[in-house]
This record gives sequence, C-alpha cells and structure tokens, in this order.
Amino acid sequence: MKNIIANLNKAFESRIRLGIMSALAVNDALDFNALKELLEVTDGNLASHLKALESFGYVQSTKQFIGRKPNTSYSITQSGSDDFKHHLNALGELLS
Amino acid sequence: MDKQHEDLKVIREMMEKSTMFLSLSGMSGVISGIAAIIGASFAYFYLLKNPGNTGLNSTQEIGILLADALIVLAVSIGAAFYFSKRKAKKNNQKIVKKVALKTLYHLGLPLVAGGIFSLIFLMRGEIGMVASSTLIFYGLALINVSKFTYPEIHYLGITEIVLGLLAALFLYNGIFFWTIGFGLCHIFYGLIMFFKYERLR
Repeated sequence: MKNIIANLNKAFESRIRLGIMSALAVNDALDFNALKELLEVTDGNLASHLKALESFGYVQSTKQFIGRKPNTSYSITQSGSDDFKHHLNALGELLS
Repeated sequence: MDKQHEDLKVIREMMEKSTMFLSLSGMSGVISGIAAIIGASFAYFYLLKNPGNTGLNSTQEIGILLADALIVLAVSIGAAFYFSKRKAKKNNQKIVKKVALKTLYHLGLPLVAGGIFSLIFLMRGEIGMVASSTLIFYGLALINVSKFTYPEIHYLGITEIVLGLLAALFLYNGIFFWTIGFGLCHIFYGLIMFFKYERLR
C-alpha cells in the first residue's frame, strides 16, 4: 500500500494540474485560451499552474504571434507524458 | 480512496471534453429528417411527376430543385446549432470552441467536396446521380467526423453510403433512396440518440 501511494506524483496533486495534463495528453497542443475554456479557471491561476508544470519539465510552451496578438501554445513533453502515464497507472492500481 | 476515484473521473472527463463534441442532439436528426421528407415530397410531386424521368428539362426546374435542397440544408444546419446549444446549456456544459471547429472541419471537408460534385451533376440535369453522390459523400463525411463524437454517427454514415450505392444502382429511383437516407434514417438514428443520451431513464 505504501509503495503504491509513493508512486503517485506530487506534481499532479492539484486538480487543475491533472486537468492540464489530461487535456495535453490527448491533444497535440493547446493554446492558453483553449486551456482556460476547458478548465474554467482565471488567467492567473492557469498561468501559475502552467509555470509549475513547465518547471518540472512536463509541459513546454511556444510563443508566437497571430497577426498582432501574442499566442502561447502548450504541449506535453516526453517526460510529462511518461510521468503522467505512471501516475495514471498508480491511480488505477490503488483502486483495483 | 474517494480522491483517487474523483481524480480518475476528472482525467477521463477532461480528455473527453478536450477532444470530443458531445453536445450533438438526437433532436436535430429528427428535425432534419422531417425537413428532408417534406423537401423530397415537394421535389417528387412538383418536379419529378414521372418516375422514369431522370432529366430535368429547364434551368428553372433545376433552380427550384436547388432551392428546395438548400432550404432543407439550412433547416438541418439551423436545427443542429439550436439543439446542440440547448443540450449543452441543459447539461451545464460549454461548447468548447476548438472542439466545435475541429468537428465542423472534419465534417465539412467531404461535405463541400460532395456538394460541388453533386452540383455538377445537377447543373447537367442528371438528378439520378445527385441522389447517389449526396448520400455517399454525406456518409463519408459522417464517418470522418464520427471519431470526434458519438459512435452512432459512424453507423449512420455507413447506412448512407449503402443507400447511395443502391441509388446509383437503381438510377431511376434515386429520390426514394434519398428520402430514406436523409429522411427516415435521420429520424431513426436521431430518436435512438435522443433516448440513449438525453432522455434519462
């Protein structure tokens, strides 16, 4: 039991981070506004969680301009994908 | 243990919400079907009185048929938008723009190709092929978009393709297959989806 709980990743403890990782796991990339629409959180809240996930190396961002407007798109990294999968497996194991 | 259950639920819902368009309502299928039956009846009794006639005789007749088809199309699209919005509101969900656009793109591409293709036949007065090509391209469009929405759409797509091929085989009866495909099938699948996903038992 203790082993399985240890496999849960602390980085994903927040529900919003779980949501971000889930959305990015099944989409090539999502921009800031799409994530905001999906998660229904404020700009600041979303930005801080994204920054945290970036600092873990789980998410990467690409800044570009669409016309004159800046647009940042986010995608999951390989390590983000791997660790998220481990987390999902750990969750599944805890419930089986 | 509750938190883990909640977490998995959040994960699954977010994956669905970010990739699939689940606001599609069975009612829009029913309305489309009714509109198609009315449109086809008008076309049959007004223009195609002679079942053996696969050619239209004047540009005026072609124009009327085209207008008829466009009205049916407009009603169907309107119903789809209206009932999707209503369903999303009823379930307290928002229609995610990215998902909606992706759905429209995958549905629209084969539809536009088929529309232009069918129009070419219509302009030549060869309405036999119009029934067949609209059905087949519509079926392909549905199959293409089915991965972003309910599985019933996939089966509706296959049904339309089969009807389209039959319409090509029985060239003089195209209007009947058209009515079955766009009319009866829409009502049938629409009701199935409505009772499966919206009428809570």
